[in-house]
Amino acid sequence: MGSGTATAYLTGIGRYLPGEPVGNDEVASRLGGVDKRTERIRRRIQNANGIHQRYYAMDTDGRTTELNEELAAKAVHAALADRGMGADRLGMLACATTQGDLLVPGFASMVHGRVGGGPMQVLTATGVCASSIAALDAAVSKVRLGEHARAAVVGSELASRWLHQRRFDGVEDHLDAHFLRWMLSDGAGAAIVEFQPRPDRPSLRVDWVRHISLAHEHEVCMRAGLDGDVLEAGRTWQDFDDVASAERAGLMQIRQDTSVLGELAKVGLAQFEELVDLGLVDLAKLDHVICHYSTNAFRDVVFDALAARVPGFDATRWFSNLETCGNTGAASIYIALEEAWRTGRLQPGETVLLAVPESGRFSFGFAHLTVVEPRSARSTDR
Amino acid sequence: MTDVTAAPIEGYVPPKRDSRPLLDRLSECWTDFEARLEQVPILQALAAGDVTLEDYHRLLHNLRQQVVDGSLWIARAASNFDMDHFDLRSAAISHALEEHRDHLLLQRDYLAIGGSLETLRAGRKNVGSQALSGYMFHVASQPNPVGCLGAMFVIEGLGAQKAGEWGRRFADVLGLAERQVHFMIYHAEADVEHTGTMDAFLTSDRIDADAADAIVSCAKVVARLYVMQLTELDEV
Repeated sequence: MGSGTATAYLTGIGRYLPGEPVGNDEVASRLGGVDKRTERIRRRIQNANGIHQRYYAMDTDGRTTELNEELAAKAVHAALADRGMGADRLGMLACATTQGDLLVPGFASMVHGRVGGGPMQVLTATGVCASSIAALDAAVSKVRLGEHARAAVVGSELASRWLHQRRFDGVEDHLDAHFLRWMLSDGAGAAIVEFQPRPDRPSLRVDWVRHISLAHEHEVCMRAGLDGDVLEAGRTWQDFDDVASAERAGLMQIRQDTSVLGELAKVGLAQFEELVDLGLVDLAKLDHVICHYSTNAFRDVVFDALAARVPGFDATRWFSNLETCGNTGAASIYIALEEAWRTGRLQPGETVLLAVPESGRFSFGFAHLTVVEPRSARSTDR
Repeated sequence: MTDVTAAPIEGYVPPKRDSRPLLDRLSECWTDFEARLEQVPILQALAAGDVTLEDYHRLLHNLRQQVVDGSLWIARAASNFDMDHFDLRSAAISHALEEHRDHLLLQRDYLAIGGSLETLRAGRKNVGSQALSGYMFHVASQPNPVGCLGAMFVIEGLGAQKAGEWGRRFADVLGLAERQVHFMIYHAEADVEHTGTMDAFLTSDRIDADAADAIVSCAKVVARLYVMQLTELDEV
């Protein structure tokens, strides 16, 4: 039995994107911000990030149309439907999100309540983009240990309510809050993890999952809830006289120190090199890279670096749907994987590297998958 | 009146008492049992690496329905040993205690591979399990049922020598985690201990010729019924 652990497979993948796709010029109809200056900033950022379509759980009156937990639950149900099973078969639900609907209780408890099924283990991985991989790691580990036969992992984001004009009116102006305002959007993606490949169709075997934080040597790069740059007692949004004054000071905006993003790409590529050094990635046998990134500026940097390293690496082996689905943070890697899987890009025998750099405070999530055929039917009948 | 015992009937030789040492006779039973196990379809498939998760699922489901009875017939045997068999009574009571939580191990494995507790508990004994269980309750209900030692020789031997191998093979073929094959692996460890205790009884002076015959006979029946249990999966 070797290691004494089972193998984990992704056997169903689903996604949920709320509402209709929203083009660049319609974004202001959801998020507001129609003054000339804001519009100029928006266009500049949209041009840079390359996103031309995204989804919001927000109507044209700026009202939130669904809860984050609803997006997550719908993605889980889509993944279950793809696998052809009900929630009652799940032993675990691992949820990744940047910000749940409520402050208390944990997001995964709320998603479980909405997904239904039976008793199950729940885990909320909060963070930003790479929390998707942290949740995957937990689900895969528990399945490999044999503690759960089936788990669901879901990444979901409902950023739009943080990006609407009402979060900007009467608030100290911070240019670094605009970068993410015109980049983030809503959605959810989910996968079913099992200890056996599905019998009827190919599955994605999870060869390994790796999640690394480099916060010990990097300052905060993306933040909400902190006054200024220095983190000390009394300066978080929870320490103000009231939440309204925290909001007026800009603490309820998601801000990005864009000057550090070049370093993030560099460090991310170094992390990739480490995977190669450790033998976790075989450059001669790396068929697909599905990478999360916030803007096409990074796509070019990372793609060129990979093309220089991976023999025969070209655009057919690189996948992202940032341009059509937007940057959905913790949901994005599943939303991209779902499309790559559904559209037949990934063929049996091929390997897939999922890569999720997170600028928050420099975290990196990776997972290596191999497409496997259904377990062959028994040759003799009993 | 004619003396019926006077002359032997021509052509008929009454069976001679087998006077070989008990352990030799049991060893022969074991060899025969192993040969019979090799004919069991699910074990042939396992050896060939041609099993599916459904096979393992089915095997656990079938075994469980009889495993839950194990400690019950041992306890019944214990209650039928008189004071002259006090050591056997003690051993049976201890052994019943060890066995009576066994099905919980199996249950955890069954849940760990995605089985449902309701389905497992609603299961019925297959025809082999019915025969095996019924026979064991019958033997255990006799006064001083030393024959039960023969049943234990087969069942504990199976646990010590076969179950671990099956568990590891299922894990290899199906890629299972250790805690999904714990019941079978645990038996490989625990039953080695149990067989050690039993060997002491089997070689003690208290096993007379009648007792030895009863033990061997019981071992033969149990071996055949166990094979039937493994062959008649889901036949209820």
